[in-house]
Amino acid sequence: MNILHEAQEKHGYLSEHILKQIAIDQDIPIARLYGVVKFYTMFHTEPQGKYVIEFCGSPSCVLADGTALEKFLEGELGVKIGGTTKDGMFSLYKTSCIGCCDEAPAMLVNGEPHTKLTVERLTALLKKLKEAHADKKVKKK
Amino acid sequence: MNACAEGQGWKRSGNMQILRQTNMEALEKARTLGPDGVLELLEKKGLEGRGGAAFSTARKWRASRDAPADERFVVCNADEGEPGTFKDKFIIRHNAETVVEGLLIAAYVVGAKRCFIYLCGEYDYLRPRLQQQADDMLARTKMEDVTIEIVRGAGAYVCGEATALLQSIQGFRGTPMQKPPHPTSCGLWGKPTVINNVETLTCAAQAVLFDDWNPALRLFSLSGNIKNPGVYEFPLGVKMSTVIDVAQPKKKLKAMSFGCFGGIMPVDENMAITPEAICVEKCHHGAYSIIFMDETVNVVDISYSIAKFYTYESCGKCTPCREGTIRILNLLKKILNGKGVKKDLQVLAELALHIQETALCGLGQTCGNHVLTSLQHFPADYDHYLKKGAKS
Repeated sequence: MNILHEAQEKHGYLSEHILKQIAIDQDIPIARLYGVVKFYTMFHTEPQGKYVIEFCGSPSCVLADGTALEKFLEGELGVKIGGTTKDGMFSLYKTSCIGCCDEAPAMLVNGEPHTKLTVERLTALLKKLKEAHADKKVKKK
Repeated sequence: MNACAEGQGWKRSGNMQILRQTNMEALEKARTLGPDGVLELLEKKGLEGRGGAAFSTARKWRASRDAPADERFVVCNADEGEPGTFKDKFIIRHNAETVVEGLLIAAYVVGAKRCFIYLCGEYDYLRPRLQQQADDMLARTKMEDVTIEIVRGAGAYVCGEATALLQSIQGFRGTPMQKPPHPTSCGLWGKPTVINNVETLTCAAQAVLFDDWNPALRLFSLSGNIKNPGVYEFPLGVKMSTVIDVAQPKKKLKAMSFGCFGGIMPVDENMAITPEAICVEKCHHGAYSIIFMDETVNVVDISYSIAKFYTYESCGKCTPCREGTIRILNLLKKILNGKGVKKDLQVLAELALHIQETALCGLGQTCGNHVLTSLQHFPADYDHYLKKGAKS
């Protein structure tokens, strides 16, 4: 598990090439490895956005108007749950529960929790992430 | 009132038993007592597992220690993922040293050299600090031949089930296995393995050290339509009215759900919260996580979100759960869309019962509870959607 996590962190996702390499290193059939990767929702075999958003779908978040916020997020990003934005900035997923029920509604962005979400807070956060991304691009140039 | 509120904002409360630190003194005492002495002490103090099954911790440790093998393992189950439950995160954030000390005491008693902490993927942000704390503790104990590895989960709720968790640590798909053999005799790589919940291990260290340790105190995770969500400590047998007083509902309460698998039931203020009282209601207390719903909520909406959860988290190994959860979800969707008919309710109940009787693991056996209990207690909520459909 930890090897897969580390490979994903290094390369962004688990491509066929990387999985083949891990299978050789660990001396296990690629089919078994692929079966493991596909079982866990946090492993990805396709390229992911710079920011992976996992929106919590637990009943506590639903009770705190999470469903409306989820729709809002889909609209803002222009992708459905499970999709990645065309510019490669955001991937949007839904997760079962991130254990932030006391601060619902909540979501994880690249593994970091963001809680007590509202339309305003979401808008501000997306703006901040986009600006950070743009700043980095300028610096690179 | 023996209740200490943690409330919003992760404020610590010095009164909470679970936050008492043992500062390596529990491990020292355990070494003085010897493995048998620790087992006797824990048995006397009545420590039970806090993951939901309430099995005697001393019996579990003893079974593992006495199973013939050349190697043994100890695992801390930190794969908290049950919706509405966040007590383990609270403990890891505020008293991780005591969790690690409990793990080391378990390793000492059963004679294990390799310890694992299986941390759920959603809590990965807690990992660097936890690893540091574990390393520091190990350095302080000078137990050079003992290691603690954190295994990172990756978003599979079913891995909280003991056998699935073991599969995951070994690098397989996290699917539950048939029991027996139990992990205490045949766990990781076929060797005896003790698996304890975060709260259980914390309590183990505290029970060893503190004479006044109270076995009746439980952590409650409260959330939903309330003003004061958070982690609270209450003694078993506490009146529901006391819990509600602390939780402070926003509006008049209508229903509550013990996690996802517990089932949805009406709020009975006079109920004393004990496993017996809750099980009579055909609900499961689990890890004492309560999601409160007020009168503005239609229970079918919540049942639908729970059904989504089960469909998403079913591991797919056994047919009743894999197929049944999808059928339940589709039926609820049909009802919510105003296309349901009376007969669908009967089919829902039959389906839920059928899965309960035939599924392999706890996830499958409880995945119909929310349907059965909501149908029983809140038929009007279903009627609301059926009538809505009939009108249009």
